Amino acid sequence: MTPPDVNFLALLPTAITLVVAALVTILGFHTTNRALGILGIVGLLAAIASSVLIWGQDLTTFANAYRADTFALGITIIVAVAGIFTLLVSLDQAEHPAFRGAVGSHEFYALLLYALSGTMLLAHANDLIVALIGFEVMSLAVYVLSAFQDRSESEEAGMKYFLLGSLASAVMIYGMALAFGATGSFNLDGIRTAITAPGFQNTMLLGIGALFILIGFGFKVSWVPFHQWTPDVYSGAPLVVTQFMGVAIKTAAFAGLLRIFGAGLPNLEAWVLPAQVLIAVTMLVGNLTALRQGNLKRLLAYSGVAQAAYIGLAVLAAPNLGWPAALYYLAAYTLMNAGVFAIISVLAKDDDGPDIDDLAGLAQRQPLLAAALAVFMLSLAGVPPFAGFWGKYLVFNAVAQAGYWPLVVLGGLMSAVSLYYYLRPVVVAYFGTTVNPELPVNPGGATRLVVALGAIGIVVMGLLPNLVFMWFQTATGVALR
Amino acid sequence: VIHLMLLIPLLAGFAVLLSKGKGVWGLGLAASVASFAATLLLALSQPLGLAGEFFNRSFKTEWLPALGINYAVHYDGVSLLFALVVSFMTIFAVLYAGYRVEEQKLPGFIGLVLLMEAGLLGIFGSRNLILFYVFFEATLIPSLFLLGLYGNANRSRAAVKFGIFTVLGGLMMLAAIIGVKAYSGAATFDLADILGQLQKNPLPIGVQTWIFWGFMIGFAVKLPLFPLHVWLPEFHAQNHPSGVADLMGTLYKVGGYGVFRFALPLCPEAAQNAQGILLLLSAFTALYGAWVAFAQYDFKRLLAYAGISHMGLVGLGLFSLHPVGITGSLYLLAFQSIYTGGLFLASGMIQQRLYALESGSNRLEYSLEIGRLRGLAAHAPAFAGLVLVLWFAAIGVPGFAGFIGEVSIFVGVYQASPWMAFLGLLTTVAAAAFALTAFQRTWYETPAEGVEFADLQGFEYQILVPLVVVLTVFGVYSAPALNMLKPSVAALQNYGVYRQTTAQSVATPVVSSIPANTTSEVGR
Repeated sequence: MTPPDVNFLALLPTAITLVVAALVTILGFHTTNRALGILGIVGLLAAIASSVLIWGQDLTTFANAYRADTFALGITIIVAVAGIFTLLVSLDQAEHPAFRGAVGSHEFYALLLYALSGTMLLAHANDLIVALIGFEVMSLAVYVLSAFQDRSESEEAGMKYFLLGSLASAVMIYGMALAFGATGSFNLDGIRTAITAPGFQNTMLLGIGALFILIGFGFKVSWVPFHQWTPDVYSGAPLVVTQFMGVAIKTAAFAGLLRIFGAGLPNLEAWVLPAQVLIAVTMLVGNLTALRQGNLKRLLAYSGVAQAAYIGLAVLAAPNLGWPAALYYLAAYTLMNAGVFAIISVLAKDDDGPDIDDLAGLAQRQPLLAAALAVFMLSLAGVPPFAGFWGKYLVFNAVAQAGYWPLVVLGGLMSAVSLYYYLRPVVVAYFGTTVNPELPVNPGGATRLVVALGAIGIVVMGLLPNLVFMWFQTATGVALR
Repeated sequence: VIHLMLLIPLLAGFAVLLSKGKGVWGLGLAASVASFAATLLLALSQPLGLAGEFFNRSFKTEWLPALGINYAVHYDGVSLLFALVVSFMTIFAVLYAGYRVEEQKLPGFIGLVLLMEAGLLGIFGSRNLILFYVFFEATLIPSLFLLGLYGNANRSRAAVKFGIFTVLGGLMMLAAIIGVKAYSGAATFDLADILGQLQKNPLPIGVQTWIFWGFMIGFAVKLPLFPLHVWLPEFHAQNHPSGVADLMGTLYKVGGYGVFRFALPLCPEAAQNAQGILLLLSAFTALYGAWVAFAQYDFKRLLAYAGISHMGLVGLGLFSLHPVGITGSLYLLAFQSIYTGGLFLASGMIQQRLYALESGSNRLEYSLEIGRLRGLAAHAPAFAGLVLVLWFAAIGVPGFAGFIGEVSIFVGVYQASPWMAFLGLLTTVAAAAFALTAFQRTWYETPAEGVEFADLQGFEYQILVPLVVVLTVFGVYSAPALNMLKPSVAALQNYGVYRQTTAQSVATPVVSSIPANTTSEVGR
């Protein structure tokens, strides 16, 4: 009997996060909550550092079920940054009466870190079972987090998310089982080999399985029509949790989606057409409903649905183009979305956040905050020279190369539509004649740090896209040999 | 120098945005003059025989190599002429802004003007299609903020309209850019690369047509051509009453340049196929603009429609696909920003005087109503004279720069389609009609009683006189500017833009006053 194939170096980023999460759970009874938050940040920084350490080595472990290639490590770094941003904002909110203090408790930090370890596991998964474990670890922690505040909206959000989420998970697990039945393997490489082998019979079974898996992930990344939970959960959950869900969870879900469909089931007819339809419908519905939102947080929820469609396009592209593009998009998306949510946190009087009209005169009261808001919104709309433009461009380019021109054109049109609703907060903040003196401006240096880091990141990634892209691009070619 | 001209306004723009007080005006002025000096130096280096690294007109470096996107700028004659006009007019924009814009708004205003200048200089220099797109869209942002922050009451609506039109057009253009690279098989988005590939194996005509119309929608918004012009009147009517922002907006009409630089050489056959409809659209735009201008009651809206009419003429010249017509278009496009911009500034001066009479009870925009006050020439003869000269330049009276452009356009269009030339000529008649009517109603007729209307002051002379001088100089002695345009226009022949029959006329002088032996520079 051979000893199990375990390469601890490959496990390092995920393991660090998990250990820190466990530490936070235990130490919660011995030290202050603030110290725990800082411990979490330090732990995530260590996870990033370890990812850099093993960058480009393409390590595998557990008999190729766990793969630390550049794609996984890139996702790991992105979700770790998202986690750090969330922790920074929650440090401020823990002390603020508007948020009832719940977000700063040690259970909160522990759950957040467990969720992060789940996202990292999902990113590294090269095996359906590992992907499922990561998916569930991350989901369960976030179900609890969304219900973390003792107000009815938050509890409703958590319940709704949990019920619908479990259903989606169940569908996905069924899909995985069908895929296993059809190919005899949980490993993505094994599945691919089985499909491409001559004389493969179980196309029908595998197609149904692939569709079910697509639905499971489509729920998590909120594709229409599986998006119904998104606005309610986003607006009901505590602000920081919404920020976390909008960024880290979505990134990880996309990682799983790209990995499973890009590496395991490439170009399988059964899912390519449904995915196109889902993405097209999502673009339309997400953008058109976002047009009519009055609350900034809800606006971002719907814009998140629309953005999920753009990122989702990468699934259709060839992995050697689509994966780096998606990584870049997700990195930019993390910075912009986390930045906007941090701004909302500064301006929120409770967890609902401000309405768009409440922003009137922000440019005069808080010029730097308003400037950052303008940068994030223009970047989300995909206006150069900000990072969002390059993200969109890279993804559209990758998909166009794969021949899906109608989707690219639709995406372009919808981007123009999205400019309207992304500009509205900026227009109100800058161009209005009135000033709203009742808009609260919460203190908090850490939240402002998040805003500043996000804005600087967006501008730098916009002006010098290659600075970041060359890392993603050189390495993802290795991921799929 | 090639970096200085762009970096000076860019950095100064950000510096000004972040500072406060009256001192920013000096900084802004210094930056705009320095940028103009740098551009002028680059333009003069060749005739003066200056050479060396410092005077390089091209620069190329990697930007996003994985996707073939590089930072490639090159200023040939056409680019330089437009760059000169942009940096020249920015000086006056900043100068007049210093007198007119309220002090607390000044840093933001001048900062945005300078950022816009940087963006525009970038647009005219870009030789990589994606880089062009980035500059094209990035310039939108300061322009949008100029309108949204400092405009009139309905500015938000106008700003959103303007933004959406530009971005939508831009995205169509982006699709065309991606398409042309993909189908040409070029490794990069570099214009020279793609053109080189296309010369070896041209695109099939079906693909070309799609790509051409993608470009055309993007540029027609910015030209603007009917029916994509509807954002423009509101844009001008709602901008800051000083007219400075309108001037910058006029400079941002880069559509004609884009057609010349990208759409025509990349899709020559598609352009030839679409020539008829495009000529018709352009002629219609010209007539329609003039027609609607006739009915306007507000100076700025009048100028906006006059601008649309001019752009129709520019379109006519471009789509004549005849070297003389294209040269004329570019000439008109470059110099119309001087007289239209000058007229916008003059409207700002009028507005200031009228507004002072109003005791503030009326809304700001009504002060620009045409004909509400008449006979102003009796009070301000010098002002009246200068404005009349600017209008003359605008309607193509011989002796001013506009005339040269218009004549060349008509010569070119006549070769392509005599009827369209006739329609275009009708426009000039209509233009004379609306311009002189508006002028008469404002400046002549019985003077209003008991109204004080001051004549030009020192600084206002400083602004209007140089513009008139430049227009006159280039109206009489057009050779320097034409020589800058000609080599690049002639180079279009290599890409098959011109039909065979017109090819030999490239060699003949454009307008008889130009010596035929001047070939200062050919392409790159």
